[in-house]
Amino acid sequence: MSQIKKGLYLSCLLTLLIWVNYLFIHVEMLFILLFSFLFILLLVLTSQIDKDKNSNNSAKYGAAMPVVDDELIHSVIFELQQFIHQEINIIEKELQRTKMLVRDAVTGISQSFKDLDNLSDDQQQMIQLLISHSGNMEDGQGGSLENFVTDSNRTLDDFVGVIINTSKQSLETMTYTDDMVAQFDSIFKLLTQVEGLASQTNLLALNAAIEAARAGEAGRGFAVVANEVRSLSVGSTTLNEDIRAEINNAKTIIAKLRESVETMASADMTSTLEAKDKMTVMMSHVEDVNNQTTRSVEELAIIAPQITEAVNIGVRSLQFEDLTRQSLESLQMNVTSLHEISDALATFDKNQGVAVHQQLIKLKERCQQVYQETQQAEDSRSVKQLNMDEGEIDLF
Amino acid sequence: MTVSSKLSGDSKQLVISISERFDFSLHQKFRDLYNDETAQGLTYILDLSKTEYMDSSALGMILLLKDHVQLHAGNLIISKPSDTVRKILEIAQFQRLMTIE
Repeated sequence: MSQIKKGLYLSCLLTLLIWVNYLFIHVEMLFILLFSFLFILLLVLTSQIDKDKNSNNSAKYGAAMPVVDDELIHSVIFELQQFIHQEINIIEKELQRTKMLVRDAVTGISQSFKDLDNLSDDQQQMIQLLISHSGNMEDGQGGSLENFVTDSNRTLDDFVGVIINTSKQSLETMTYTDDMVAQFDSIFKLLTQVEGLASQTNLLALNAAIEAARAGEAGRGFAVVANEVRSLSVGSTTLNEDIRAEINNAKTIIAKLRESVETMASADMTSTLEAKDKMTVMMSHVEDVNNQTTRSVEELAIIAPQITEAVNIGVRSLQFEDLTRQSLESLQMNVTSLHEISDALATFDKNQGVAVHQQLIKLKERCQQVYQETQQAEDSRSVKQLNMDEGEIDLF
Repeated sequence: MTVSSKLSGDSKQLVISISERFDFSLHQKFRDLYNDETAQGLTYILDLSKTEYMDSSALGMILLLKDHVQLHAGNLIISKPSDTVRKILEIAQFQRLMTIE
């Protein structure tokens, strides 16, 4: 050690001399000479240090050996192996369990998605059927509720038309009847004139009878004629009265006719008005229902593909099962590696005869080997996964 | 007066006013109001602003008036009917036959 120290001091001195030469003396030969010395000295020192170190190591080893107990190493490694073994077993069990859980869950979810899809289809068909039925209430002759209401409305209009026409015709009849009554009145006037004539005739007959009486025997024949004329006038008056009575009868009948015509002409429109109002309400209701149905159909048409799309998304999302399985399989591989290490540790305990140092070296080599294998597997797996992420995968 | 009529100053408009009830009892008076009016191109205004009740005979009377008006190349306007009366007129589809204002 002291030799090396001396050598190092010497090299420092040489370097100092080189600096002095460089800064003050400027002799090239001296520079080369000093530099060569320094180089050779450093080479010697390096080889000396190497040698020193090797001898040092071997000396240390020999001194430490008795300190670390073989028994202790064995027991530590045994405990380590036991511990790793137990952990691995637990991890493996959990892995299996997770795999199974995921598989079962995915099977269930997948099935439920399929069922959902089918049910949604069924529902859609039912709704279509329902709509086609409600929109067209078949009564065997292709009549719908809407048509029925329209027909009823038309019938009501016709009915109103008939009522009004009847009223109009009745009023016209009334006019004619009034004219007829007026005609009767003029007949009465004529009858009055006829009565006047009859009374004049009567008066005339009376005068004639007086004149006949005054003439005495000579006027006897004329008296008979005057008497006949008088009885004629009386008969005429009676006939007049009979005609008047008959016409009065006719007037009474006409009054009854008036009444019945009035009844015919005067129909109360209130009920018709109410019916019309109800019809209007019904019409708007039917229209509302139709509109509602149309809207529902449109909404359903939008919803149906949405359900299908949602189901598809759900099904696509189930790809995670595949990925999870791959991850679990990869984990399984890591566990296998751990198993190998554990096995290697187990051999340590069995081969008690072999020196601990040898065994440790072997163990180290085995560890490196497994580490490299795992590393390679991981690399290839990463590449695979990258490819998978890039590609669009549709499992269904 | 249940029914009344008034001829305008320039003799171009005849306004016929009807009382609360327009029914059969008025038919004689109603007819008398226009029957003697034979001037050509006269505008007949039927004022129903006071009328609250109207039966089918009233509709018949209006139709007869319409016939009379047409015969004399006149024009018939129904003026200010109440809501109920307007509804009845519309059910009878009178809006197609004459002006309702």
